[in-house]
Amino acid sequence: MASPCEVHVAEPDRALAERVVATAAAEAARIEAKFSRYRRGNVVDAINSARGRTIVVDEETARLLDYAHELNELSDGKFDVTSGALRRVWRFDGGDRVPSRDAVEQVLATVGWHRARWRSPELTLLPGMEIDLGGIGKEYAVDRAAALVRPLSARCLLNFGGDLLALGPQQHDRPWRVGVESVSGDAAAAKQIDLGVGALATSGDARRYLQKDGKRYGHILDPATGWPVVDAPRSVTVAAPTCTQAGMLATLALLRGRDAEAFLDAEGVQYWALR
Amino acid sequence: MQLKNGKSPTFRRIGAPLAAATCALLGQSAPREVAAQELMPWDIDTSLLIYSESDGRVRDTSLNARARKEIREEKFLDLTLAIDSLTGASPSGAVPASTVQTFTSPSGNSQYTVGAGAQALDTSFLDTRTALSANWEMPLTRLALLSVGASLSDEYDYTHTGLNARLARDFNNRNTTLSFGLALANDTISPVGGSPVPLAPLLGLGNQTNKRGDQSKDVTDLLFGVTQVLNRHTIVQLNYSLSQADGYLTDPYKLLSVVDPVTGNPVPGPAGSGLSRYLFERRPDTRDKQSLYGLVKRDFNGDVLEASYRYMTDDWGVDSHTVELRYRWSFGSGRYLQPHVRFYQQTAADFYRTVLFNGAPLPTYATADHRLGEFDGLTLGVKYGRATARGGEWSTRVEYYTQTGNPAPGSAVGALANFDLYPDLNALIAQFSYKFGRR
Repeated sequence: MASPCEVHVAEPDRALAERVVATAAAEAARIEAKFSRYRRGNVVDAINSARGRTIVVDEETARLLDYAHELNELSDGKFDVTSGALRRVWRFDGGDRVPSRDAVEQVLATVGWHRARWRSPELTLLPGMEIDLGGIGKEYAVDRAAALVRPLSARCLLNFGGDLLALGPQQHDRPWRVGVESVSGDAAAAKQIDLGVGALATSGDARRYLQKDGKRYGHILDPATGWPVVDAPRSVTVAAPTCTQAGMLATLALLRGRDAEAFLDAEGVQYWALR
Repeated sequence: MQLKNGKSPTFRRIGAPLAAATCALLGQSAPREVAAQELMPWDIDTSLLIYSESDGRVRDTSLNARARKEIREEKFLDLTLAIDSLTGASPSGAVPASTVQTFTSPSGNSQYTVGAGAQALDTSFLDTRTALSANWEMPLTRLALLSVGASLSDEYDYTHTGLNARLARDFNNRNTTLSFGLALANDTISPVGGSPVPLAPLLGLGNQTNKRGDQSKDVTDLLFGVTQVLNRHTIVQLNYSLSQADGYLTDPYKLLSVVDPVTGNPVPGPAGSGLSRYLFERRPDTRDKQSLYGLVKRDFNGDVLEASYRYMTDDWGVDSHTVELRYRWSFGSGRYLQPHVRFYQQTAADFYRTVLFNGAPLPTYATADHRLGEFDGLTLGVKYGRATARGGEWSTRVEYYTQTGNPAPGSAVGALANFDLYPDLNALIAQFSYKFGRR
């Protein structure tokens, strides 16, 4: 999943703790293998190398595509699983290589969920289009792993690269203490959150950005323009019952740019935004 | 979080459709609960404590504040401030007499009298104490924790400076913690009117010829502790501590009455002073204490029982036993009631004397301080606490302390048999606390 995954278990029974870790790790590995766009031979690879042919997907992939479709609608097109193609011209490595307008325009012709034809379970993309489920995958993996671990009745915290979910507190009155990374590169956590149950997901550009002529380009791209969203918070952390919900709210907020906080306020969710 | 300026845009609310879509993705069993709370940057504890002895004796009003902050990840700074205001009267050590007794106050500038048969209380007792401490706590390794600190306190006749360090390390899957602590203190005593020459007589008004300058003492404390988690509900703790004090350990304000060995009546003091004979006390220059402390803490579905025992022994001949019990009874929505019982018993110091007899050779050391006598103390109390909505807590504690002791054997000669040579002490303790912050 290109980021460290941790499972913390607060149980004295070692065998139980090991079962929890093994279950979560197996599910994370399964989802990564199936949906990573960096792997050859999986369903995402099949879709991205279809060159205009229609691909019939399995039931789980169909549910994820339905979800992507729904989010695209709810965000007025801002959340778009086909916007990953823009990464061919945008490389957020902390450097200063901002692409030319022409280069962005050229890629933009292959971006846009409205250009895809999705009739579950059949997906047809235009040649040159590709999808990337990375924006949902990590949070989805946390929720899926949690669903498999829950029947084991262990107090635990799943942390897949900063997106996390607690199945109950460590002890009766001792929640999990979670640090939100500071955006200034400071080693100390910017905020600390006690999580008893539920999920926290963070979206941000703490380490993925470009900087040129004093202007900072965060890695959240607006599929309508092909350019990074401007004036978005550096990081948004949202609390929600599921990690997927939390992650989507955080991402949708960032896509709103300067109105990120107003959007989250209107949703009435618990959030922490760092600018 | 950013302050919004200008008018907020209006958004289509997507919470409900997003929740429904997420449910469709994850299945109907998707959880619907979340409990998250941001921690405040500081933990603050504040309290007001009132300790009041009966019969107008000592009254202490104490204000305490403690602030704790995580400065770096798992590195904490702890600051405390305490201000104590002591008023009232404290027993001077002299025994009652059938006649009025006159005493020169420590400053030598005034005198006070004590009625026939009354306990000799020094009413010039008044003090304000300010104490500060700072502590830094940091992990050394994943399993070892180091804390170092400094303390300072000041009152008009006493200054304390101290340094301390504690090292704790977890073993055995964090079920066992071994700790080692070291504390060093250096205190300066500047008694009002000077420090009296030990066992020298109390002199008349304006005569301070038997007073000397400032005194000091050094105290070293060592602590070895083991904490063991027995199971999910029980922990036990065992501490052994060693304390060595060196220097001026005498109380510069305490006296002993010198009485006639047959009649028990006061004998005349220094010529021309108009006083009876009272000698300033004298304690050894060193004191070595050892103590053993055991604690069991057990959780009964949210209620907590705490039972502890301490045995202390020192080379002054004082041995003490303390048994303490607390039961924290939680009755929902963060409220609890915690009854508390403490029983204390100590033997007298070898040099504890209620009086000195005229004509007998002077002992090397002598004190009539009741705190070094043989006594039993019983504390009964109850604490009520209530959590606030933001994770803080209010609490009120009320306790009653009663102490009964015995004079040194063979003291009640002649007229002294008519007096209570070790009066009971009763005190009321009330404390109001408020904590808030990140807990």
